[in-house]
Amino acid sequence: MSSDVRFTDFKSDKQPTWCPGCGDFGTMNGMMKALAETGNDPDNTFVVAGIGCSGKIGTYMHSYALHGVHGRALPVGIGVKMANPDLEVMVAGGDGDGYSIGAGHFIHAVRRNVDMSYVVMDNRIYGLTKGQASPTSRKDFETATTPEGPKQPPVNPKALALASGATFIAQSFSSNSQRHAEIVQQAIEHDGFGFVNVYSPCVTFNDVDTYDYFRDTIVDLAETDHDADNRDQAKDKILESDKEYMGVLYQDEDSVPFEEREGVEGSMAEIPDGAPEGAMDLVREFY
Amino acid sequence: MPEDLNWAIGGEAGDGIDSTGKIFAQALSRAGRHVFTSKDFASRIRGGYTAYKVRTAVDRVESVVDRLDILIALTERTIHENEDELHEDSVVIYDGERSTMQDVEVPHGATALEVPLKRLAEDAGGAIMLNVVALGAACEVTNFPIENLDESLQKRFGDKGEAIVENNKTAARKGQEYVQEEFETDDFGYDLETTDADYVLLNGDEAIGMGALAAGCRFYAGYPITPATDIMEYLTGRIDQFGGKVVQAEDELAAINMALGAARAGARSMTATSGPGIDLMTETFGLVATSETPLVICDVMRSGPSTGMPTKQEQGDLDMTLYGGHGEIPRFVVAPTNISECFWKTVEAFNLAEKYQTPVFLVSDLALAVTEQTFSPDTFDMDEVEVERGKVVDEDEVDAWLDEQGRFQAHFATADGVSPRAFPGTTDGAHMTTGLEHDELGRRTEDTDVRIEQVDKRQRKVDTAREQEEFDYREFGDPDADTLVISWGSNEGAMREGLDLLAEEGHDVRFISVPYIFPRPDLTEEVQAAEDVIVVECNATGQFADVIEHDVLERVDRINKYNGVRFKADELAADVKEHLAGDAGTQEVEAE
Repeated sequence: MSSDVRFTDFKSDKQPTWCPGCGDFGTMNGMMKALAETGNDPDNTFVVAGIGCSGKIGTYMHSYALHGVHGRALPVGIGVKMANPDLEVMVAGGDGDGYSIGAGHFIHAVRRNVDMSYVVMDNRIYGLTKGQASPTSRKDFETATTPEGPKQPPVNPKALALASGATFIAQSFSSNSQRHAEIVQQAIEHDGFGFVNVYSPCVTFNDVDTYDYFRDTIVDLAETDHDADNRDQAKDKILESDKEYMGVLYQDEDSVPFEEREGVEGSMAEIPDGAPEGAMDLVREFY
Repeated sequence: MPEDLNWAIGGEAGDGIDSTGKIFAQALSRAGRHVFTSKDFASRIRGGYTAYKVRTAVDRVESVVDRLDILIALTERTIHENEDELHEDSVVIYDGERSTMQDVEVPHGATALEVPLKRLAEDAGGAIMLNVVALGAACEVTNFPIENLDESLQKRFGDKGEAIVENNKTAARKGQEYVQEEFETDDFGYDLETTDADYVLLNGDEAIGMGALAAGCRFYAGYPITPATDIMEYLTGRIDQFGGKVVQAEDELAAINMALGAARAGARSMTATSGPGIDLMTETFGLVATSETPLVICDVMRSGPSTGMPTKQEQGDLDMTLYGGHGEIPRFVVAPTNISECFWKTVEAFNLAEKYQTPVFLVSDLALAVTEQTFSPDTFDMDEVEVERGKVVDEDEVDAWLDEQGRFQAHFATADGVSPRAFPGTTDGAHMTTGLEHDELGRRTEDTDVRIEQVDKRQRKVDTAREQEEFDYREFGDPDADTLVISWGSNEGAMREGLDLLAEEGHDVRFISVPYIFPRPDLTEEVQAAEDVIVVECNATGQFADVIEHDVLERVDRINKYNGVRFKADELAADVKEHLAGDAGTQEVEAE
C-alpha cells in the first residue's frame, strides 16, 4: 500500500455512460475518495457490482473488479474476502439489485458480517430498463409498469438491516460529496459489514425523489444529538418513514467480522505443488 | 454357496440402520474383505422403510446383485421389501418377541431366525443396542469372528465413553451366544473368511471431498441437498486444517457466486449440489465462463425432474451440465465412473479449471455418492497428486502482460486461448472482469470484431485442451467382440461384473466406460467396428446415447433404467442378453 495514492488513481480511463446529472457520479467519486483516504490502492482493492446503472461502476473505477449477475454481488464479495482477508472489498449495488432480486443475499450478508462495505445507489426507480417501479419506489409512484403506483409500501432497507443484526447502518446523499465520502469511509473502517444506503437521484425517470427533494428534507445526523451506539435510537430513526437522514444511524463498536470469528488467516491463494503434507492421514481415516 | 455374501439390515428411518450397517461394513473391511454397500432410503427423517446393504467377498466386488443371503429385519415391511431377493439359503434375523413381528412369514423357504434382540439388549445394558445384538447374531450365522466388530464399535461409540463401548461389545456377544445355543449354526453354510489385506472404506461423496483437499481446494460454498451434502459435511472442519473454509450459503445462487468470488481471489474453489440446485446455479455458469474464472461445480445427480425422487438414483442431468446456461459456454464435463475415480477426477477437475480458466462440471450420481467401497489405501496415493495452476503471473511477470498504457490484459487473446491470471493483490495487475462481452482489458464492448475475437479466444481453450489432455476411456471385456456396450458414471461396476456373467454364457462383449462427457473421446472407430452397440444409462431418453449418435452419425441401441434404482450386475447382464436375442432397436423400458 502506498501512502501517496490519490482518489483519481481509482478512476479508469473509461467515460461513464450515466446520464448527465446522474447521482451515481457523486456516489462513485465518494467511494474512490474514501478508498484513497483509508490508505487503499487499486491493487489491494476488489470492487464487486451487480446489474443496472450501479453495476457499471466497476468499469469506471480502476481496481480489481468483478461485474456479476443481477442481485448476486454480495455473495461474490463474501467469497473474495473469505479467500483473501487482506483485500479491501467494496460491493456496489442499486435498489433493484440489492433489495429486490438480491434481497435474500442482503439480509444474509448483513447477518454474516464479513468485513466489507456495501454501497447501494438508491434512486427509487429502475433506470437502465427505462423507468419501472423499484422496491424503494413510493406507494403511489406512477411508472410504466405501475400506472397507479406500486400500491405497496417501499422496502425499508435500513430496518431490514437492523432486524438482521447489522453492525453498521448508514445513509448518505450523493450530492453532498464531502459528507458522502466521510460516511463511506466510516463504513470501510468499520470492523464488519458496513452498509450505506445512498440517495443517488435519477434525473431521467424519477421526478419525485429529486435532488431538490433530498436537499430540502435530509437531516444530517451529525447536526443532531443522535447516538449511533444506541440501537433503540437507531431503530426509532430508521422507522420514521417520513424523514430522510444522512450519517451513521447505527454502529456496533464491538463488532467482530465473520472471517475473524471463523479463524480465516491470510490469503487462500497459496497452495502446495502437490497434495498437502500429511495428506495420507485423510485416507487413513477411512480404515 | 456363492463366493460373495449379501447382507442387509432394514427397518424404519431413525432405527439406526445406517450406523449399524456401517459398523458391519467397517468390520468386514478391517478383516481384509472387500465390501460394496448400497442404501435404500426414503426422503424423510423418521419412519418409512430404509435399508443398508453390504455385499462382501474376498475378491473385489463393485456392484449390487439381486440376491440377499442374510437379512436383519427390524420391521415386517423389511421382509416384504426384499422378498424377491430372498432364497432358500437366506437367513432372516428378527425379534419374534416383538408384538409387530409375531406373525412374520419368511418367504421362499428361507430360514427364520428368531432372536429376542430387545430382551438381550436390555440384558447387556439397554434396549437401544438391539441392532448390535443382531450384528452379533449375524456374525455367528456367517462364521465371522466377532472380535472384528470391536474396533468398529469403538470407532462408532468411542466418544460416548468406554462404558458404552463395552456394553455394545457385550450386546454383540449376547446375540452371538444366543444363536450358538439355540441353533445349529453349521447348517447355514456361510463362512466369512478373513484376510491380511488392508482396506479403506469410503463413499463417492467422501472421495470427492478428499480429492478436493488433496488438490488444494481452500474454499467451498454450498447449500445442503441430497445426495451432495456429504461432500460439504466431509469438508467442514477438515478443510480448516489446510487453511480453508466451508461456508453454508443461504441458497445455491449465493453458493456458486461465493465460490466464484473466492476463485477470483485466487483460492481453489468449489461448490456441489444436485439437480434442483444446479438449476439455480445455471444463471452463473455463463459468468464463470466469460469472466474466465476457474471453478469446480459438482452435480451429484438424483432422480428428476423438479424435486423428483430425492433419494433415488438417476443420470438425468447430463444435458443440463453439457448445455445448461444461455449463450455458448466453453466448459469441461467430467464424470467419475467409480468411487476411486471420484477422488482422481476431482483432482483433475481442479487442474483443468485452473489450466483453462473455465467452469468444470464434475458429474457424479447418487449411486456413487452413497455407496461405500473398499480400496487399498495406495489407490489414493497422495504422492501421485499433481497440482497445475496454469498461467498465474506474479508481480515480476505481470509487466509482460501490460498494454502501452500499463493496463493488465486479463483477457489477452493468446494463441491457446488461455490468458494470464493475476490474483488480486498483485502489483499492477488490477483489472476489471465482467459477464458482459469485454475486450482484452475486461472492459465492456459491443465492437463486432472484439466480440468475435473474445468468443474465439474462449472457444480455443477447448481445442487446446483436446490437444494437451487425454480425454480417453476405460475398456473392459473382449476388445474384438462384435457387441459393444458403452456407459458413463456409476454403471461401470455393474457392467464389469455383468461382462463375466455374459462370458460364462458365451456372450463376448466389449465394454467402454467413458469418464469424459465434454470434451469426450471420439468413439467413431469403436462404434463402426461393432455389430451391436448398446449405450447403458440411468435415464429414460438416453442422453449419452444421443451425443454418441451425434458424434458418430450412426444409430445406437439403448438400455435405460429410470425407476430410481441403480443397475444390478445380473439384471444388466440379462438386459444385454435380451437385446442380443433379437429385439435390438426397441427401447428397454423398466418401470416398477
